[in-house]
Amino acid sequence: MDEPQTPAIIDEFAGSSKRRFLVFISISILIAFVLVLISMYMYNSSGAAQLDLSRPGYVGVRSQAISDDGDFKNYSSTGSIDQSSITEFKTLYSTQAQKTKSVDAFGGDPLSPTALGLITN
Amino acid sequence: MFDLLDSALDNRKVMKMSKKILAVCLMLTVILSGVTIIRVAAETTPMTAGQIDQIRNNCVSAKNTLSQLHASDALLRVNRGQIFESMSTKLMDRFNSRVANNGYNNTGLISVSRSYGAMLDTFRLDYKTYEEHLSTAINVDCWNQPAAFYDAVATARTLRNVVHADVVKLNQYIDQYKSAIDQFEQDYQTVVNGIKQ
Repeated sequence: MDEPQTPAIIDEFAGSSKRRFLVFISISILIAFVLVLISMYMYNSSGAAQLDLSRPGYVGVRSQAISDDGDFKNYSSTGSIDQSSITEFKTLYSTQAQKTKSVDAFGGDPLSPTALGLITN
Repeated sequence: MFDLLDSALDNRKVMKMSKKILAVCLMLTVILSGVTIIRVAAETTPMTAGQIDQIRNNCVSAKNTLSQLHASDALLRVNRGQIFESMSTKLMDRFNSRVANNGYNNTGLISVSRSYGAMLDTFRLDYKTYEEHLSTAINVDCWNQPAAFYDAVATARTLRNVVHADVVKLNQYIDQYKSAIDQFEQDYQTVVNGIKQ
């Protein structure tokens, strides 16, 4: 009596497995999609995107990025404080301060409508 | 038999849930696309036909200039940001620690370095906002939406000036820290001379 039912059970089981597999794949894709969205949000909101010169459009300037600031010496945070250590720090600080201030970063007005040719004088 | 019935019912429920998830995903996609389209389509500045023609005529060159500026500013942000960061982490913080470890009063130095750190955070945030708006300006279709393009460039211009103001303030804090070091040196010499006498 039970024998004719066996193929039906197997078919039902196979169908159920297929559906479960499809659901599993769908959920996996959905989870991956959500994780990608979260990581992209973090990438953009943290400001990492602005520092990422590997993005398209930055090929020309990528090589000019300073990868080694070896000339920027670390001042030791340990040791005694005396006149020579203060003088040493002042010399180091003045040198780096001068370098830092030497460039007028983001100065000028390259986005003015006149500079871009959007308005004629 | 009951097991089969249960499994069939479960499958139907799961299929229904999958359909619901799919529907939610589709709705989200439509909403996000709609928001993007509305943002891009916003045109505010009234312009004359001559101005519109002027923008359209210089559309390609303006976009090229913006793209070049986008890249050069990114490089500037990376290199300058690194130097500004090093001023804080490699010099200011370390000197403050050394002074504190030796039991001297470093209140003036810490006050300036904290202000510098806060300004550095502001600089990072302002640059991020500027870069986002410049990217938006680059992506606006200046042929079909000249007014929107003009507005986007004007906003980016204002934000770039804000970033420049941040850099100027950072440089001022660097000078202030130098004055604080001089003050500390004077105080130190007063203490040392007092002990000697």
